[in-house]
Amino acid sequence: MRYLLLSLIVAVPLFAQHDGRRSQPAAGDSPAARYMHDPAAIGQGRTQFGNVCSGCHGPNGEGGRGPSLIDASNTRRASSAELFSWIQKGIPGTDMPPSPLPDESIWQLAAFVRNLSAPAFDQPLPGDAAAGREVFFGKAGCAKCHMIRGQGGLLGPDLSDAGASRKQVQLREAIVDPSKRISDGFTPVVVKLRNGKQIDGVARNFNNYSMQLMGTDGELHLLPKASIEGVVYRAESWMPAGYASRLTATDIDDLVAFLSRQVIREPAREDPDGPRRENEDN
Amino acid sequence: MKTTSQCVTLRSLTALLCGALALAAPIAAQVRYEDLLDGPGENWLTYTGDYAAQRHSPLKQITRENAGSMVPQWTYHVEDARRLSTMPIVYDGLMYVTNSNEVHAIDVRSGRRVWLHRQEHVEMRRQSRGAAILGDKVFFATSDCHLVAIHRKTGALIWEREYAHPDQGYHCTVAPLPVKDRILAGVSGGDSGMRGFLAAFSAETGEELWRFWTIPGKGEPGADSWGEKTLAWGGAGTWMPGTFDPELNLIYWPTGNPWPDFYGGDRPGDNLYSDSLIALNPDNGELKWYFQFTPHDVWDWDAQEFPVLLDLPFKGRPRKLVVHANRNGFYYVLDRVSGEFLQATPFVDKLNWAEGIDAKGRPILIPGREPRPEGVEACPTVRGASNWMSPSYNPETGLLYVVTLEGCDIYTSSSKEPEPMVGFAGTGGERPPRDGNRFYLRALNPTTGERVWEYPMTGPTTMWAGTLSTAGGVVFFGDDDNHIVAVDARNGQHLWHYNVGQALFSSPITFSVDGKQYVTLTTQTDIFTFGLFEPVKPVPLVTEKHEPLAPSGSGSQ
Repeated sequence: MRYLLLSLIVAVPLFAQHDGRRSQPAAGDSPAARYMHDPAAIGQGRTQFGNVCSGCHGPNGEGGRGPSLIDASNTRRASSAELFSWIQKGIPGTDMPPSPLPDESIWQLAAFVRNLSAPAFDQPLPGDAAAGREVFFGKAGCAKCHMIRGQGGLLGPDLSDAGASRKQVQLREAIVDPSKRISDGFTPVVVKLRNGKQIDGVARNFNNYSMQLMGTDGELHLLPKASIEGVVYRAESWMPAGYASRLTATDIDDLVAFLSRQVIREPAREDPDGPRRENEDN
Repeated sequence: MKTTSQCVTLRSLTALLCGALALAAPIAAQVRYEDLLDGPGENWLTYTGDYAAQRHSPLKQITRENAGSMVPQWTYHVEDARRLSTMPIVYDGLMYVTNSNEVHAIDVRSGRRVWLHRQEHVEMRRQSRGAAILGDKVFFATSDCHLVAIHRKTGALIWEREYAHPDQGYHCTVAPLPVKDRILAGVSGGDSGMRGFLAAFSAETGEELWRFWTIPGKGEPGADSWGEKTLAWGGAGTWMPGTFDPELNLIYWPTGNPWPDFYGGDRPGDNLYSDSLIALNPDNGELKWYFQFTPHDVWDWDAQEFPVLLDLPFKGRPRKLVVHANRNGFYYVLDRVSGEFLQATPFVDKLNWAEGIDAKGRPILIPGREPRPEGVEACPTVRGASNWMSPSYNPETGLLYVVTLEGCDIYTSSSKEPEPMVGFAGTGGERPPRDGNRFYLRALNPTTGERVWEYPMTGPTTMWAGTLSTAGGVVFFGDDDNHIVAVDARNGQHLWHYNVGQALFSSPITFSVDGKQYVTLTTQTDIFTFGLFEPVKPVPLVTEKHEPLAPSGSGSQ
């Protein structure tokens, strides 16, 4: 069955993937428009970041003495001009100092910081997406539990929109440390029923009166709590750990690149000159 | 099929992965075409319940005798909903409801969400009339006209296909209709200019199989019914699902108004196939026949109430009929084999645009009722004598139940140069002061159009809810004052009502699970489900164990 499945997958045309190429900035655009989504500027910003910012904000912007630049709501919501100003002038009342760098370097830094919180689709690819596809459906076995555009299993989250709904740092973390953060609606459980049966799976939803469970048997189990004797809420995901050692660093980069390209619709970009859209959690 | 032994040879992928292989195996229980042919029972599988669109359920746990004991079972709130128009479908314990660009799967026993599929990054938000189900796929249309197939158990994307584009005036609200191995879907946008069509897609792959244009192309039959100016933008939307006769292998799809809605000077002629019922072969989209209810419409009277298929004696002879309570105030009876016009009778009293319908099915116009720049009062209203509120038919009482609006509007028109896609409709209709407009639920004799009984409603005449008939002898409907109501199917006597406190844009459905019958109604922002009262049994707390997370880096293999 497995070989059949894999061969079928190979025979199916490649999914509708997006190549991630956006329109390029033009001469005469504002600095924000020129830099904020320019891959070269983002790359140069990354180098600058390693030189002058990583000491406080972490090597990849994940935070340290300074706040995370990946999840911090104020950087997500800041306009490009605000980011530029914070980097150039510092933030009074905090440890964030002003920077003597030239404007171009600051715009490159701002572009990199903005990109840290961008969806994976808009971030520079860390590897070869085509090779990552082979890893996904091949030796990593991801499709046993994850579906992309109708290909794959039912237990784990659908990844057809992974590139738009997640950042690359989140994709990478989910691969190498799957139990660190478990997606909402995928709580791993072992359920013992009053009739003596046991169902392993993920709780898509539950409360004191019912549980909606996707079993490892591929079936949905819609259970009144009165039918349940006990539930073990597992700390560890059903997803196998150990990919960090089982896959090579190149495999993981390729896999992240492949998943970054999976989008149902291209996510809309923020206007680099305008204010950031208010977030839902306002 | 490879077996467990091969799993053993792949130990490097861990035994856990081998167990997971079962997930890729075919899943037995899924919705077959034959299930759709069977019509409603425990499940409610299509917008209209059955292909004949009678919306009559064989369930009879809830009867005229005990309907007064109905109580709410659960309420599901749809976040960010503004105007839920979804017709829920139910299969195998799950209910699927749509909001703009999303589908919610709900456990029908508890009202709890199982999954949510949301199409992010769709800029357009329009109402959605519901989903369809076939095989293991649930189908819906996004507001910007992508037909989307998702897995019924998880909501995972399977395929999506753009079939019309907002840049050409389209948006989509239709509930798709599954027929055989294909999914039929139509388009909206006819009030601001577009070219209507109905298309069929492979349920398996999303490939477009055929497309029928409801406005003919230049040089095609019917094109001469438009003139030159608006032929390419003449509307004739297809935003309500049609019905299907499997024996005749014909689908019956209603079409919308011509554009500009209220000024016909730029579109001389009948404007085919607007305001029509079209009968198509679902295999190839070929037109078998059409019938146009309101030729050269200038009152925005789409023919969108879905047609009901009935096999009944008509004037002493068994006939395969299709009946339709039209927005223009006439109730039509046609032969659905040939499209032959048989009869039309007014089903409202407030009707002043036509004396009647002639022997060929064409309205006999009363002069002076066309919209004018200074306004003219005409009846029915723009909203119509009925609209997309679902009718239903009970074969035991032999009655057809139709939500009816008695009313008039002041219609105005403008000869301004029509500009598509900017909301221009050639102006419109407004309510006259102290209009006296009112909704009624009416029970009609389906072959004569005679009114057998009626149930008057109170309210602001702003609702869009329709009816459901059950073998328990009950007609459920949503009224104009935010209630779901149950009446006796024989005589319209009130049996039960419940105030949901919100405006209504959809119609009730019914289904059963674990031997209990439920009735569900979509409201503006919520899904309400009702059933007969039963005392709640105490639920013991379940023994829970929360495993601590192992130290980082020591995860199991």
